[in-house]
Amino acid sequence: MTARALRLAVATSGRRVLAVPGALLMTAIFYAIVAAVIAGVWRSAANANDGLIAGYSAASITWYLFASEAGTISMNFRLMDDIGADIASGEIAVELLRPVSVVSHRIFIEFGRVLPKLAVCLAVALPLGWFAGGPPPSPAGLLWAMPSLVLAVACNIVAQHACAAASFWLRESRTTWFIYQKGVFMLGGMLIPLEVLPGWLRSVSNATPFPSMAYAPARLASGHVEPHLIVVQLAWLCVLGGVAAAAFGLGERRLQVVGG
Amino acid sequence: MRRQCRGLAATLRAAFAEAAANRRALLFQMGVMILNDLAWIAFWVLFFRKAGEVNGWDRDRVILLQAVLTCAGGITLGVFANARRVGTLVLDGGLDSVLSLPTHPLAHLLVKRIEAINLGDMVFGVCLFAVAGHPTPGRVTVFIAVVIASVIVQVGFLVLTGSLAFFAGRNDGGDLGFNALMLLGNYPVTLFAGFTRVVLYSVVPAAFIATVPAQLIDHVDLGQMVTMAVVAAVFSGAAVSLFTLGLRRYSSGSVFTRA
Repeated sequence: MTARALRLAVATSGRRVLAVPGALLMTAIFYAIVAAVIAGVWRSAANANDGLIAGYSAASITWYLFASEAGTISMNFRLMDDIGADIASGEIAVELLRPVSVVSHRIFIEFGRVLPKLAVCLAVALPLGWFAGGPPPSPAGLLWAMPSLVLAVACNIVAQHACAAASFWLRESRTTWFIYQKGVFMLGGMLIPLEVLPGWLRSVSNATPFPSMAYAPARLASGHVEPHLIVVQLAWLCVLGGVAAAAFGLGERRLQVVGG
Repeated sequence: MRRQCRGLAATLRAAFAEAAANRRALLFQMGVMILNDLAWIAFWVLFFRKAGEVNGWDRDRVILLQAVLTCAGGITLGVFANARRVGTLVLDGGLDSVLSLPTHPLAHLLVKRIEAINLGDMVFGVCLFAVAGHPTPGRVTVFIAVVIASVIVQVGFLVLTGSLAFFAGRNDGGDLGFNALMLLGNYPVTLFAGFTRVVLYSVVPAAFIATVPAQLIDHVDLGQMVTMAVVAAVFSGAAVSLFTLGLRRYSSGSVFTRA
């Protein structure tokens, strides 16, 4: 029953997103602008350095950034903030009445919302990336990047739930969200390939789940066929899932709701 | 007019007092925002360490750009916090309480709420300029002038995109406009060419919130100064006009809110 409920949650939330094509169009436009701009900065840097920066050519850095941005822009920008607000306001108490775990249900609903947006971003990325940076450096790498992107958004959603559970104790998650977001930006390789980081910072980054949320699919799309990155993503997904379940389990026990 | 200004000043004072009521929370949130801004500085330092100079931009010039952006962005999102919530307020019927006031609804709305966390940006921007912006009396004067112009452009753009909710019945444009402006403002626009540059000078005026102001601090150019002033006037004028026009279509939420 639980598995069926969760499948239904994904399908229903996905259909809701598809029912509003205007919002999907806005996502596509926003993605196109942001990816083109950020890739443009790095291409300028590569061109100013004999066509190569941190081991990436102008073409491969373009595909890197189009992939990393697709994984993050398809997400709800303020997901963690929204979860924290629901916990702090006590709204989440109603969800405890369902016969499925609150955190699983929320994660699957969010996953259903993200998938159509991810598909739209990819539909934009393929022609725009080709136009801006040339053909993909490795078609095999690009193919590997597809499942990696799905795992990246899954890791991101689960991690945001794990962090947002802090709201059971702190009553807010906005400050945590700001720090988390910078973790994805910098340590996750969303804006900057990890090869650019100094050695010590790269070691710190590799010890966190952030690279699984942006760097892994981006590295694959940039033409580096390294399937072990997907294994690392799967491992982090399991760890983060366990942490989110444990944190919500503990938090739900201390949830106090005033009023009705 | 004078009475309106007195009313708005009193509203702004009350909003500041409310934000400062929990001083420890205020300082903590400002501290988090400063950390957030430091991450962007780290990004640019790492970028230029690898890239060297790109199209006339180097680390020092981008740090100046960040000083303008964080200071102006902090004022926009901290002091005029409701600028980014116009669309949400319109859709939630949250304008009811401001319509009966003797002040202009938009002016009252803009000064009604302070977002403490973004005041950290403002402080960071000023400190960054003081430390890395080579301040001289002339540069400080230009810094203040361009920050004011940048704030007007940002508030105008946010109100403009938020006011689309009066007509579209959705706030997707407002949300995406806000995120696009905040993200794209971080990049020196002159790094781009062609269509991208046109977009950043027009549809999303990212160029006028940090790149052009930073260029003006380094090199005062009368033509660019006038352009900056005209852009600020156009965006603020368009924002007031669209908001006022949209108010005619506004339907009450029949709820009591604090706007």
